[in-house]
Amino acid sequence: MAAAGPSVFLLMVNGQVESAQFPEYDDLYCKYCFVYGQDWAPTAGLEEGISQITSKSQDVRQALVWNFPIDVTFKSTNPYGWPQIVLSVYGPDVFGNDVVRGYGAVHVPFSPGRHKRTIPMFVPESASTLQKFTSWFMGRRPEYTDPKVVAQGEGREGENTETEIPRVARLWLCPAQLTLFCPQ
Amino acid sequence: MAEAHVIGQIVGATGFSENSLFCKWGVHTGAAWKLLSGIREGQTQVDTPQIGDMAYWSHPIDLHFATKGLQGWPRLHLQVWSQDSFGRCQLAGYGFCHVPSSPGTHKLDCPTWRPLGSWREQLARAFVGGGPQLLHGDTIYSGADRYRLHTAAGGTVHLELGLLLRHFDRYGVEC
Repeated sequence: MAAAGPSVFLLMVNGQVESAQFPEYDDLYCKYCFVYGQDWAPTAGLEEGISQITSKSQDVRQALVWNFPIDVTFKSTNPYGWPQIVLSVYGPDVFGNDVVRGYGAVHVPFSPGRHKRTIPMFVPESASTLQKFTSWFMGRRPEYTDPKVVAQGEGREGENTETEIPRVARLWLCPAQLTLFCPQ
Repeated sequence: MAEAHVIGQIVGATGFSENSLFCKWGVHTGAAWKLLSGIREGQTQVDTPQIGDMAYWSHPIDLHFATKGLQGWPRLHLQVWSQDSFGRCQLAGYGFCHVPSSPGTHKLDCPTWRPLGSWREQLARAFVGGGPQLLHGDTIYSGADRYRLHTAAGGTVHLELGLLLRHFDRYGVEC
């Protein structure tokens, strides 16, 4: 029996970063990027983006809405390294500096269809109380030099993060596989 | 060889009495399973919830297995630890859950337990911290010597795992 060669399949992701809930912060923008394994490559669309700055609505919902489109297609031969979308949210602090308000990551869903994902967002914590005060004062909060580390598992020991709930970003992701990898 | 991809996240944990939690995780499989890509074990960051109960890790898991048999289906074992402001770590709970066997995305809630010691050890744990821990990590996922243990409940770890299977039908396995 002839062995089948590696089969290429395409993963098309449409969707949007819909909104976020950050009770204490306002005037936020978000950046998204995709992190994927070595066997994956983007073939169409944008794999990174920066949204507009949004303010909270005046009504009871206090919603921060971006409605920011995501449209990208990947090709791969192997599900290992399935793409993850990494979101980073930034906003001004009391002195007007741009500081990070949260990072979050989630895998692109496997099955075609409309999926809503609510991602918790976390920030790295300062190592000591003095550093917390200094970073508040100077506007230089601890942040990751490369947000893509949020999507990786190695090297997380020894990191301290804090999450204030609810701080979530809502995403709609609609992936479609143009060649089904796993028909079962 | 049949292949399985386990792709997902350790989302977080609720119900623990301590704040500042982190999780050490690992995947145990039988002898017929071989890990082709991915990291079999790891440790999450320490997360401190400021408001509310849930500690969020969002720790990604991406494993690619090849297997010749169904025995030893992968099991994810977890150890949740808490870290205090001095940097000391104390065990908060052990837990395990099997990786699901049907393809698709699954939300899993893994309950945890921690060993209780004698009344002296429990008193010491309340005041000073520390407490008994398992000597052999495989007791977390095996039932063999459990009857010796007296344990108390910890919180729950929440996971979202997706499973993709390939070539299982060639071996007559319906998933």
